[in-house]
Amino acid sequence: MIGLGIESTAHTFSCAIIKKTGKNGKILSDVRKIYRPPNGEGIHPREAARHHIENSSQVLSDCLDEAKINVNDLDLVSYAAGPGLGPCLRVGAVVARSLASYYKIPIYPVNHAIGHIELGKLLTGAKNPLVLLVSGGHTMLLAFLNKQWRVFGETLDITLGQLLDQFGRSMGFASPCGKNIETLANNSSNYIPLPYSVKGNDVSFSGLLSATKSIPSRNKEDACFSLQETAFAMVSEAVERALSFTRKKELLIVGGVAANKRLSEMLKEVCRRHSCKFFVSPQKYAGDCGSQICWTGLLENQNKKGVPLEDTFVTQSWRLDSVIINY
Amino acid sequence: MRLIKKGAEADIYVTNWNNSEAILKIRKTKNYRNSILDSNLRKQRTIKESQTISEVKSYGIPVPMVYFVNLKNSSILMQKIPGKPIHDLSNSKIISLSKNIGNLVGILHNNGLMHGDLTTSNFILFKNKIYVIDFGLSQKTNKPEDHAVDLRLIKEILNSAHAKIMKPSWENFLMGYKSKVGLSRFQKIINLVSIIEGRGRYATVV
Repeated sequence: MIGLGIESTAHTFSCAIIKKTGKNGKILSDVRKIYRPPNGEGIHPREAARHHIENSSQVLSDCLDEAKINVNDLDLVSYAAGPGLGPCLRVGAVVARSLASYYKIPIYPVNHAIGHIELGKLLTGAKNPLVLLVSGGHTMLLAFLNKQWRVFGETLDITLGQLLDQFGRSMGFASPCGKNIETLANNSSNYIPLPYSVKGNDVSFSGLLSATKSIPSRNKEDACFSLQETAFAMVSEAVERALSFTRKKELLIVGGVAANKRLSEMLKEVCRRHSCKFFVSPQKYAGDCGSQICWTGLLENQNKKGVPLEDTFVTQSWRLDSVIINY
Repeated sequence: MRLIKKGAEADIYVTNWNNSEAILKIRKTKNYRNSILDSNLRKQRTIKESQTISEVKSYGIPVPMVYFVNLKNSSILMQKIPGKPIHDLSNSKIISLSKNIGNLVGILHNNGLMHGDLTTSNFILFKNKIYVIDFGLSQKTNKPEDHAVDLRLIKEILNSAHAKIMKPSWENFLMGYKSKVGLSRFQKIINLVSIIEGRGRYATVV
């Protein structure tokens, strides 16, 4: 079974091809083009969509070439139908629909967030994990129960990715800023106390963002250090709470912020305390990519025949806990 | 002294106090956390929890008795409640007891206290009485928004850990809560709960 997955929810346009045999998947190619906003700015949905349109055909043909696959060999095509930025989502959907209708390939609209989790499970081998999904779009703690991913904790306002990006932008970086902040933070060990807000298994970052922005700009490195320490400690505590409540014995981190070393380091320590196995998405596949969409499409194919073209959709708001999973 | 639970925040030991069993809750240093942040959190929460337990007792809510507080190692020695957490009871029991839990939360809120960690593990059934524990995240507040955050959390827990009985337990909880806080306050809070849920990421916008 060979699938093509198309991701275009936010800044990344990506196509990937995976070959699925039984329960195993082999990524044959995963090609990406990432939209970069000007310094100090965030993603402009229209400009990002323009970027995706301009790059889509190149990414698609590179992806087929690299995998040495002909379009006619594809058994299915899946695309990220949400959640994400409307104009960007439409680009991926249009590419997927064109392929599906011209080459008569079954088409699958896929939830982007479920994609993060499923790809993480495939690549790490986690079986029944508590999942921490941390990205620009999500900050959620999830466990699978009775055909659905259930939310055990989440952010009550902005996400961890947005916290880092918005602070980074206020210092003049362009989104995504996680890497820049991590680099600056590594040069400091001077902790400035900042608001710490954990509500049960939930967290809230907006107060922390305002307080960090008010640290004088000459202390950039201290601000980054203190921001990371505070925000990651909050997330770690929420993880600890959810681990001890759900009694899960595995933790899996997925999403763009999973690439942060300090966060991984802290959560590894959490897992040691709770004698729980620690899994993190490989850095290359932690952020948005076509593989996550492709693999989820292949999984859905196990007991679903694809969706009629007229029923394919995109939706900006699509919570992953509303998806019923039958595979 | 015997370790019985490695909780999220603290380690829980069973020990002896004046010839009866007691619980020693120690908020241990977490190495992954920045040391300044770590010691602040541990100290603040230990003080908060011990003060709150005594205060909540005066509302007429069953809570463990505090025997001794040690701020040097952030530990609290308290009465052991030899019952079972609601989380571990049968589904039918959880459904019926949800009303009593709603009652208790209503009383806390009437007294201007938000619990801050309303999960089914933090209510213990013993001799037909429900004891409330774990006040480390509690806060003195009368703001409707804060009380709504409390309700949202228990709703989230019912919806995730007890998904199969979510509907009847949540209804019972609300019934119990309403009977304590009164209709107009209840409507205000429940309205805020939906507003907070609507703020959630990718919540369906109606």
